[in-house]
Amino acid sequence: MDSPTPVIEIQNLAYAYGKAEAVHNLSLRVLPGRCHGLFGRNGAGKTTTMKCLLNLLRPQRGYVWVFGLDPAQAEVAVKRRLAYVPDQVAFYPWMTVRETLDYLASFRERWNQKKEKELFERFRLDPAKRTAALSKGQRTQLALIAAICPDTDMLVLDEPTSGLDPIVRREFIETVIGAYQDGNLGNRTILVSTHLITEFEGLIDEFTIMDQGASVLTLEADEARQRYQRIRARFAQTPPELDLQGALQVRREGRELELLVNGSGPELLERLRNHNPEALSTEALTLEEIFVAVVKS
Amino acid sequence: MLLRINFKSGKPAYLQVVDQVKAAAASGALRPGEALPSIRPLAEELHLNRNTVAKAYSELESLGVIETLPGKGCFLKQNHSPLRREIRRKLLIEEIDQAIVMAHHLQVPGPEFVELIQERMGALENKRRSNEDEKED
Repeated sequence: MDSPTPVIEIQNLAYAYGKAEAVHNLSLRVLPGRCHGLFGRNGAGKTTTMKCLLNLLRPQRGYVWVFGLDPAQAEVAVKRRLAYVPDQVAFYPWMTVRETLDYLASFRERWNQKKEKELFERFRLDPAKRTAALSKGQRTQLALIAAICPDTDMLVLDEPTSGLDPIVRREFIETVIGAYQDGNLGNRTILVSTHLITEFEGLIDEFTIMDQGASVLTLEADEARQRYQRIRARFAQTPPELDLQGALQVRREGRELELLVNGSGPELLERLRNHNPEALSTEALTLEEIFVAVVKS
Repeated sequence: MLLRINFKSGKPAYLQVVDQVKAAAASGALRPGEALPSIRPLAEELHLNRNTVAKAYSELESLGVIETLPGKGCFLKQNHSPLRREIRRKLLIEEIDQAIVMAHHLQVPGPEFVELIQERMGALENKRRSNEDEKED
């Protein structure tokens, strides 16, 4: 099978604001149709990375390609195929909701009227309202409509749901799944940075954890949940002195033992079983727990 | 049939959908000819990637559990396994062996294990019966 052109290809990217290095030596690749999560603490370099993809910033070192093109050389060709929802959404305050969408649609080749109507109904937005009078949630909803209606090949979401109420957040994710992913699934690529990892858990195929400007882990979500596990064991007496090499974290409390493991679960389980525990159980870590475990260690 | 995804199980989400549909079919919670939810609303409801649900459905289809009727949706099939008897037995034996190993480690002796199997089969039968009763009501 031919390997398809990656939608995003980043090699050794570096960017500094003055002396403060926001991204250094970042490499990342996203294939068509995948939903890639970008996780990192505040200041980890996620937004800077996204801005380099969108040609809002020029890489100082390294390369960035989007759809196989250099966004600085082929800005229009790249931008017509993607849509972006930033964390701080801004519109011209004097325009109404309707005028804003007409204005944004005028830059697009395609505009899916059916989806626009469907989303207006779902969000119950008033087309005659001025954008200055919209709540934060409504502004995000408007930005989402504007990002989905052009039916682009990629959706870039930068902390899209932070600061929104739980209902709006749920609707946002359902809309991305329902309305954006409605179409040629092989061509609906999503790059999303978020701190609300749990909410996006089911949407994310693969993820990259960034820390201090660099990538520390890239993994498929299913594989990650298989590798990162929490093992709990309870013994009849004080736990024996065990060789727990390979555990990321060990907690002891009385007769109980709790381990976080990365990939070495089966061996450690075997070792624990040899000491006949009263109870022994494992569970997968969620992506959020994996993120915390990776960034803290 | 209401599906639920648990990311802490460590089992890939698409496989959880596959297994839950299979379980619903075995217990009669889903009957032959009955429609499964369409991919889009199910993905929205479970907050799952559309590709994940689509992958589960195509897996169920290749296993012969469901069939897709173009323009109508997906339905549970009658007598679904397209596999030969030996293969079906082999697949089952793998699962049973795993359960036996687990029973050993959990210190559940053989006779108790067999008893448990009978008990669980009874439970499934009861569930199936109560699902049947509902149908007649």
